[in-house]
Formats: sequence, structure tokens, C-alpha cells
Amino acid sequence: MISLEEVATRRAPLALANLSLAWGPGAHALVGGAADGGALVLAVVAGATRLRSGRVRVLDGAPTDAGIRPRIGFVPVQPVLPPAMSVTEVLTLAAAIRREPEQDAEDRLRQLGIEALARRAVATLSPEEARAVAMVEAVTSSRVRVLLIEEPFVALDPRAVTRLPDVVRARAAEGWAVVIATSSVRDAGEIADDHVLLKAGAVVGRAASLDALAGFAPQGVLLRILAEDPRGLAAALAREECVEAVARRGAAVVARGRDAVELARAAGRAIVVSGARVTEIRVQPPSLDEVRAAAAGVEAATYESALDRTRASLLLAERRP
Amino acid sequence: MIAAVAWAPALRLLRTPRTRMAVAGWFAIALAFGIAARWRGSAHGADHALLGALGPLVLPLLAYVLVGGVVGGHSLSHATAPLVAFGASPARSAAAAILVAAGACVVSGALVAAGVDVLAHGSTDPPLLRDALASAYAGALGGAGYSAWFALGSSFGRRGGGRPVLLVADWVLGASDGAAALVTPRGHLRNLLGGVPPLDLSQRASAVALALLATGWALVAWRRAR
Repeated sequence: MISLEEVATRRAPLALANLSLAWGPGAHALVGGAADGGALVLAVVAGATRLRSGRVRVLDGAPTDAGIRPRIGFVPVQPVLPPAMSVTEVLTLAAAIRREPEQDAEDRLRQLGIEALARRAVATLSPEEARAVAMVEAVTSSRVRVLLIEEPFVALDPRAVTRLPDVVRARAAEGWAVVIATSSVRDAGEIADDHVLLKAGAVVGRAASLDALAGFAPQGVLLRILAEDPRGLAAALAREECVEAVARRGAAVVARGRDAVELARAAGRAIVVSGARVTEIRVQPPSLDEVRAAAAGVEAATYESALDRTRASLLLAERRP
Repeated sequence: MIAAVAWAPALRLLRTPRTRMAVAGWFAIALAFGIAARWRGSAHGADHALLGALGPLVLPLLAYVLVGGVVGGHSLSHATAPLVAFGASPARSAAAAILVAAGACVVSGALVAAGVDVLAHGSTDPPLLRDALASAYAGALGGAGYSAWFALGSSFGRRGGGRPVLLVADWVLGASDGAAALVTPRGHLRNLLGGVPPLDLSQRASAVALALLATGWALVAWRRAR
């Protein structure tokens, strides 16, 4: 659905050089900081930035094609809504431009829990409310098939924050290509099924799960368990073989290991053994730097492995008569 | 599609209180000049009011306010950004904004010129109806010229900073009767209203020149914004 081939572009102070990516239906994430170019990639896919070289294809056409443009929903951090209109009028106008059947505005807004904004004038909306309206327009469109969201949970109305992941995942399940650009590993994990790690405009790694990738990071996987008897639980966890370290932080116990699944099993056993009453168990998302380090580690390991295989095959060839 | 993308700039123009007040203010000032000319009992009252107030002052500033209202005080491309975000073509959105501005300026220019002419009409001016129609025609053409001139200005700068620059350029260059006045709306509008022509052009030639220049300025503005 989306492909970038050897794309080079610049929007000061960011630049992309020879970037190639491809995404099909589903939820995808570009993970990187503000200076890494995730937002610029979204602008390229949306046709909002001119290319210096390379080619972008969206839904088998250029993103600037008249037939393709209305099928792309792009929600930047600071979207601009037409002023001097009510929210209902904005949704009606957007439907007319996208050439889609008009839907009831309140029904559309209800999907993100902001139906109370229907009669408000755009000029009276806070930036968070305006962004939620722009988000509703994009995620409830019947024409959009490619949805691009910059920092999905940043500067968004709190009512919409809780509902957005389910709505976006539902669209991805319907066959939309959803791409988010975020600097939050947690946000990326909450929405996307695969992750492209960006650094300074270049792809430094790809992963299906950032939690799994964290296992390759120097710090490993961290499991945080909130319990009523943290001391007993910590003691039980310390006896588990796959747990590398345990620490108590107030009412929480943090366990470190290499494998998320093994760690979760160990935590389950420790809870049963200690009899602790557990309130919450959560895998702590790794930081952006940890994920990048892990990706680099995986790539290095892959390189070393390939080198070893090459050396072995050369040795084998030398020994042959 | 054009109708849909024209809706937003039209509503912006009609619903922004500051624009409405400014437009009403310039209409009031123009009509006040017309009334003042009548009170003075001038035999060529319409000529004096049209050439003294409408051409050099009211019509340019009225068009400036109207074009600024259509683009919301920003650049042309910034003004069309919300529509482009919904999938509208930037070219169509820019064309719609330029057309809405042109329509507003043509209608306002014709109305204010005819109104001033009727109020200031003197004893030796041509017959009222014919003179009012001629003034409305000149006002409409002048409005079209100024809308395109300021649309061109709106295509420069992030906040449409080219608009005030072209306002000043029109004032300075258009004041003369030399070649410089040929490239501004002011010189041709003055000729159409019965004033000193630029380079001794006939009124018909000025009308054609203004129409051609307006089309050219609008096309350049559209090309820059799309």
C-alpha cells in the first residue's frame, strides 16, 4: 500500500537520504525522536513535501494524485482546521472534499468520546480538542485507506486518548495502512505491530515487538509488579533462575531478565509461592536509546554470525582436495 | 468540488467579525465622501468623490481587507492548508480562494462606486443612471484588479507579507502617469474613473490592460500557491 524507494528530501533542519520502506495493511510505527525524521517521512507519504529524488507510491499511485489524496488521512501534531466553521460543518466539508457519503457528525465524534464538541465553533476549540476533531475526521472517514498520525497521544484531548488505540487497531484490522511516527516506545507498542527505528533520518533497525527487542538490550527486560507484600514477592522472585536481578521500589517489585515470556512465567510462580496479592503486572517499555542499542546489537550479532558462516565455508573449501 | 472548497474561504470572509467591521467601515467612509461632495454643491461632485477618495483610497483598502479576510491574514497556501489536509487539490483550493476574493472585490467595488456616484452626483455630471453604471463598471474592474494584485501579494511570505508590500507599491508606482503606473491597478482605475491616464492610454485600453493584468496576477498567485 505504501512504498518509498530511495527517497531523499529535506525540510530544515531535517533531511532524509536514500530511504526505502514499504508497508502493507496493518498498524506500523516509525520510532524516533523529533530530530530523527519520522514526521518528515509521514509528510512525504502524505504528499506534503517535495522529493529531491526517489519515488513514493501510495495505493498504487502518487500521493499527490487527485484520486489518491482524499484516501490519505494525515494528522500532524498541530492540525489546522478551517476557521469560521462549527465542528459539524468541518466534518461535512471534509466529507464533501473526500467525496464520501455524509455521516452524522455526533456519531463520528462519539467514536473518540468527543461528541460534546459537535456544535462548538472551531475558533473556540483548544489545540487538544482541535486535534481530536482532526483525528475523528481521519479515523472515521469511509474513504481513507492510509492513515498517518504524528505522535498519536501528544496534545490530544484526554477523552480521545483512551479510545484511540482501539479505533486505530480496528481500522488496521479492516485493511487500512496505519503509520504512526512517535518518540515514545510505549505509544508505538500500544498501537503498532511492527516498528521501524529511525535515527537522524536513517533506518537503524526493524522489529515486530519492541519488548522482545529489549531482551537484546544490555539492560534486558524489566517486569514491574505492584503487590501488597512486595518483600515476600521479591524473595520468591530472587529464587527464580531466569531472573537476573530484583529490586524493590516502594510497593512495586522490578525483576530483570533476558526473555519476557520466561520472566512472566517466573513472576507467576513467585506470586503463587509468596501468596502476594498483586494489583498490576506490566512489562516496562524500554527507552528509545535502549531499543536502538538492542537493534544495533541484533544487527551486529547477525553480522558476526554471517561472518562466522562465511569463514567456516571458506575453511571447508580450503580443506577440500 | 470547487463549490466545496470555496465554501471555507467564503464563510471565513462572511463570519469573521473583524473583516465585516472593516468592510462596513470602508463602505461608510466612501459614502461619507459622497455625501460631503453633495453638501459642498460641487457641479462635478461624482468626479471629485470617485477620483479623490474611491480610486486612490477606499477601493484599494477595501480590496486589501477583503483579500486578507479570505486568506485569514495568512499566506494563500496557508489559508488553503486545512482543505488540502482533507484531500483537496492545492490547485483547486487556491483557485477557489482567489475566485472568492475576486467575487467579493468585484461586487463590493461595483456597489461602493455606484453608491458614491449616486450620492455625490453633481449638476454637470452625466445622467445619473448612465454615470452610476459606468462607475459600477469601473469599480468592478478595479475590484477585480486589486483582488488579483493582493492575491499575488498573499502568495509571498509565510503570513502573506507580500500584500502590504504591493499595497505600498501600488500607491507609489500608480500615483504617476508614467510607465510605472501601467503595471499597477491604480493607474488604470484612475483612467477608468476619468482621471489622468497612464501614458495617455484610452479608457478602453486601460480596461483591457487591467483585465489582462488581473488575469496574469491571479494566475501567478495560483501557480505559486498550488
